[in-house]
Amino acid sequence: MMAKLYLLYGIVVLGLMGTAEYRGWRLTSFNEARTVPRSVRDNPGSYRPVYGGFRRFTGGK
Amino acid sequence: MAAQGRPPVSVRSVNCPNCGAATAVRTFGHAVNVVCQSCRSILDATNPGVTILQRYTEAMKEEPLIPLGTRGKLLETEYEVVGFQVRQIVVDGVSYQWREYLLFNPYREFRYLTEYAGHWNFVATLNALPGGGPTPEGAAARSYGGQRYRHFQTAVAKTLFVLGEFPWQVRVGDTTTGVDYVAPPLMLSAEVDSDKEVTWSLSRYTSGDEIWKGLSLPGKPPRPDGVFADQPSPFRGAVGTMWRRAALFAAIAMVLWIAHLVSARGRQSFAQNFAFDPKSPQDTSLVTPVFELDGRPSAVEIETATNLDNQWMFVGYALVNEETGQAFEVARDVSYYHGVEDGESWTEGSPTDTVALPTVPPGRYFLRIETEGGDLAAAPMRYRVRVVRDVSTSLWFVVALVLIAVPPILATWRSSKFEHRRWQESDHG
Repeated sequence: MMAKLYLLYGIVVLGLMGTAEYRGWRLTSFNEARTVPRSVRDNPGSYRPVYGGFRRFTGGK
Repeated sequence: MAAQGRPPVSVRSVNCPNCGAATAVRTFGHAVNVVCQSCRSILDATNPGVTILQRYTEAMKEEPLIPLGTRGKLLETEYEVVGFQVRQIVVDGVSYQWREYLLFNPYREFRYLTEYAGHWNFVATLNALPGGGPTPEGAAARSYGGQRYRHFQTAVAKTLFVLGEFPWQVRVGDTTTGVDYVAPPLMLSAEVDSDKEVTWSLSRYTSGDEIWKGLSLPGKPPRPDGVFADQPSPFRGAVGTMWRRAALFAAIAMVLWIAHLVSARGRQSFAQNFAFDPKSPQDTSLVTPVFELDGRPSAVEIETATNLDNQWMFVGYALVNEETGQAFEVARDVSYYHGVEDGESWTEGSPTDTVALPTVPPGRYFLRIETEGGDLAAAPMRYRVRVVRDVSTSLWFVVALVLIAVPPILATWRSSKFEHRRWQESDHG
């Protein structure tokens, strides 16, 4: 029973590994914003994103 | 009513000369001793006068788990329980008692069931000698039937209680030297009596449930406690299979990893040099030209290569899809310091930083870059930003190897622990 469960487990691990590599998964902490205003190209400083995973105070305008 | 072609099994009774109680004798013709069920006196069944061989004076009370007279089928053969005894060994001052049940079938030899702490064995006397000589000596392994048996224990066993009938002379207080050799689920045992006569037997570990079912006993058997000498390991065979499968999984993982390394294009989509002067706040935010990220959704790597020298800078990136407005935002702290202290040079950090963003869909993108930091008195910093599409990684290969290895490692550890518990009870523990 143990060996059969391990077989299933191994298949799942390999499946996840293949998916992660194909899809380009990473462990990077980041923030995903859904809509960034088009005006940011004209005035880059007008948009203040929230940087995912970064805890240091970044100051600001 | 006897089955056709078979003579009926005769059950006679004898009157105990000590207390007068009638005791059934089920193996008449085979029984040498019979124990009075009332006063526990041991009677000579071979003597027509049924003389008393031993009066039982101690008040030990023991009720067999399987009542005498119980009939049922074990290992495809019908048996009747005709005898019961309690025996004991003392090891390091600790007394260990077990129970033995004598099984009778008029067309087969006697068999036995032994029970200790809920662990059962079905025992048969050997007709051939095991390899290594007729007498058990030392702790050398023995062989029998192509199987090697390791020495487990040598101890003196004493009979504490008897009930029923036996095909040999039995007395309370009898001692024999017992030597056990194990090859789970089997156990080879030798008993040497006071006349140096050796009897070899082979035991097979059996579950209590199997016995209860075969003998149609009510209730449930006692729960096994601890690990018995010849108890088969639940990990036996499984550990080897798991390691073989782990090797196969690792090989498949390696193939997947190599295929990933080969297929990842690592295509540079954007590269540009920038300058950052901490004294000029207007240079802290900028956007790059639009560039194309093609292909399927995959990782994007942003590399920041600077000329930092005992300086630091903060870089915030937002990778923005020009059409959908979807943005991936990440911040990086880049610093590089170096010096000499007590004649030894040291470095801290790196002037180059790399970050990978996962599963970025294809499309047209630009980078919004926000910079900060540095010593106001320092010279302007230069940095180069490079965006690479469809980069490879070894991360998931390493993670997969670890995940693949964990279960067989755990199973090996548990198997080892099980065997340690088994051998702790032996002379070698």
